[in-house]
Amino acid sequence: MNYVEWLRVRNALRVTAICLGISIVVALVVRISIAAQFGSTHDIVNRLGAEKDTVTTHSVVDGFNRTTLTNAREHTVVVIEDQADGSKIIQITEPGNSAHSNSVSMGPVRVSTSESGGVEKTTIETNRPVPFGIYAAIAAVIALIIATVLGAPFAKENDGHLEIAFLKPVSRTNNALGVVLADCVGILVAEVMTVLAFAIMQAFFEVPHFDFSGINSTAILLAIALPFSWYTFLNASTASLKRGAGAVVGLAWPAAFVSIALAGLNLGTSIAGQTFHTIFWSISRIFPLTYVQFEGHDNDLSSLGPKLMTTAAILTGLFLVYGALAVVQWRRVEA
Amino acid sequence: MSTISIKNLRKTYGPYVAVDDLTFEIPDACVFGLLGPNGAGKTTTFKCMLGLARATSGSVLYDGAPLVPETLERIAYVPERSVLYEWMTVGEHIEMQRRAYRKFSVARARELLAQFGIDLRKKARALSKGMRTATMVALAIARESDILILDEPTSGLDPINQRHVLNLIINESARGATVIFSSHQIGQVERAAERIAVIDRGRLALEGNVDDLKADRKIVEGILPSETFALNGLAGDPHILRLDRNGRIVRAVTSSDAGEVLAKFEALGASGLRIVDLNLEDIFLYAVSPADATADVVEGH
Amino acid sequence: MPVVLTVDPRSGVPIYLQVIEQVKRSVALGVLAAGEQLPTVKQLALDLTINPNTVAKAYRELERDGVIETAAGRGSFVRGNGSIETTKTAATDVARDAIDAAVREAKSIGLLADDIRTLASAAIDRWFREDA
Repeated sequence: MNYVEWLRVRNALRVTAICLGISIVVALVVRISIAAQFGSTHDIVNRLGAEKDTVTTHSVVDGFNRTTLTNAREHTVVVIEDQADGSKIIQITEPGNSAHSNSVSMGPVRVSTSESGGVEKTTIETNRPVPFGIYAAIAAVIALIIATVLGAPFAKENDGHLEIAFLKPVSRTNNALGVVLADCVGILVAEVMTVLAFAIMQAFFEVPHFDFSGINSTAILLAIALPFSWYTFLNASTASLKRGAGAVVGLAWPAAFVSIALAGLNLGTSIAGQTFHTIFWSISRIFPLTYVQFEGHDNDLSSLGPKLMTTAAILTGLFLVYGALAVVQWRRVEA
Repeated sequence: MSTISIKNLRKTYGPYVAVDDLTFEIPDACVFGLLGPNGAGKTTTFKCMLGLARATSGSVLYDGAPLVPETLERIAYVPERSVLYEWMTVGEHIEMQRRAYRKFSVARARELLAQFGIDLRKKARALSKGMRTATMVALAIARESDILILDEPTSGLDPINQRHVLNLIINESARGATVIFSSHQIGQVERAAERIAVIDRGRLALEGNVDDLKADRKIVEGILPSETFALNGLAGDPHILRLDRNGRIVRAVTSSDAGEVLAKFEALGASGLRIVDLNLEDIFLYAVSPADATADVVEGH
Repeated sequence: MPVVLTVDPRSGVPIYLQVIEQVKRSVALGVLAAGEQLPTVKQLALDLTINPNTVAKAYRELERDGVIETAAGRGSFVRGNGSIETTKTAATDVARDAIDAAVREAKSIGLLADDIRTLASAAIDRWFREDA
């Protein structure tokens, strides 16, 4: 591992740790300040139970507390069941016919509604297992930022430090690989730090359970392959530059988005249209970000799995190709 | 053994010829001075020697073999401008070099940096130009390498530190290292170097042992009977590098055998004959200045 | 072994010759006594800030001229066991060079041999007057 690059990585990770640390502190502050409102069963009961005409009954089912709040006048029943893991299931039954059968998950909380015969039933489940894919996605975003920050290591050496970098008694290839290794380790560490930080933040509210099934595991592969391939893409784009690497890295994001947008345009069936479409489509294939477009597959998870695997494989391939391209370029740079 | 042979070295950048047909040898354990005006090609020569630039043609051989990564273990280089990482401390630079090379004396590095008065905790960007040069010199000498190459190692330094660097170079030479250094301070080269090469506009203008050059290159001066006195083709003499005439005074810069040239002056009828010694600065200036200078002749001492 | 030599690299005279001349002068003046040890090559190089090989070359010539002798592993020492001969040889060498240079210079500015002899005699009279 290249020592200088490792120092750069360490600095980037330090900033990441500080930002994550601040987030944790903010989450802690939020947690403490809304402690009053956030649901222990006792609090919910106190609030709702204090309403007029509400009758509160307590019972124990299968060893766990069940609190029922009945408001006969408004025909509303709220049942709160405490679960073994400290989470709750809250069922609200009330008159109404506007709700459709629906189920929405936000992280650990799932809200399901159904309606039949003029009666709406809303079920709130807290602390359901969190699909790890969400965590992986957040980590991937942070990793993309780190990959961008670390993205032009060869260019940084080219800008006046080759008399140190290229006079080491190792082959330039090994030198280059040592730099790439340090950056990749840094990206991985940043992802782990992010996952840990978010788990801690969630734990302030409820200890998280993770669902690693199916695409959640594939998401991990993707969360590594995407920032890695973006990093080597940036590296390959700047490996021969002495100056101006910052501009290239800065423009890479907008360029990627513009390219993706252009590739998605429907330019008609004319020869010109088809040609331009092919050109735009081809250019967009250069950017690793292009491959992570998924159109609304929330309900179709079965087909998403293989698609994610393919994408991860493509991105891994890009990681290797761009990495090789960067190393080959750097070997030929003259001081 | 650490001899360096440079053969027909040519380096072009597009249409610009930086060095052309350079050939000279740096013997083992020699202190070799590289002189030349700004832009002459000294730094390019160093870059080609170190593999930092690819020679367009020609070769640089170390003990007969081309440069490979392993050779770099034996070579330490101090570039002309600062290559330190602005955001790293001096101490971190020490650690960097310690990890990169098998032979690196952390104690010696610290000792030298202390002598220069450099704080290890300072970031490179907080150092003055001279202190950055001194840091690079200290890091290079701590390598205790067989070959030490320094490009303007005293630039930006005050006279005390300049003398200190010169002493470090002499110490390295006494240790048996081969030292190559370039400097615009010809007095420094004169003290420390045994052999020199002068590069001018990419070409080798002069090369040799300093004492031999001083013994061979003299000014023979004479006073002619009249301002229009014919010189009878004296300028074509093989021992005469250039002939300058100022009124009745004629001066010849000799490449050897000043005594013979003196005799020729005498035979021609000149009087007031004398031989003037040249120091290295004079020798250098004559080597790089245009050959047709007439009125302005640099005085020797 | 404090030896005070000075060299002027800018003088045009090769440095090793200056070192030789100065050592001989020191011996002639008795500043360097017979049997006294000279600084090591490395030490003198550092003291004078000159190339060590230059010092080595000077020492070799001094040895060849019989002014010093070098014992391997022990160092270089001024030759002789206090004999006047060594000192006188060194003194003669130094003086010869100085007089040679003076005569050459005088000739170059146009003096004739007799003029120079007259000047030399006058100088000798002047400098040795107090000894009379």
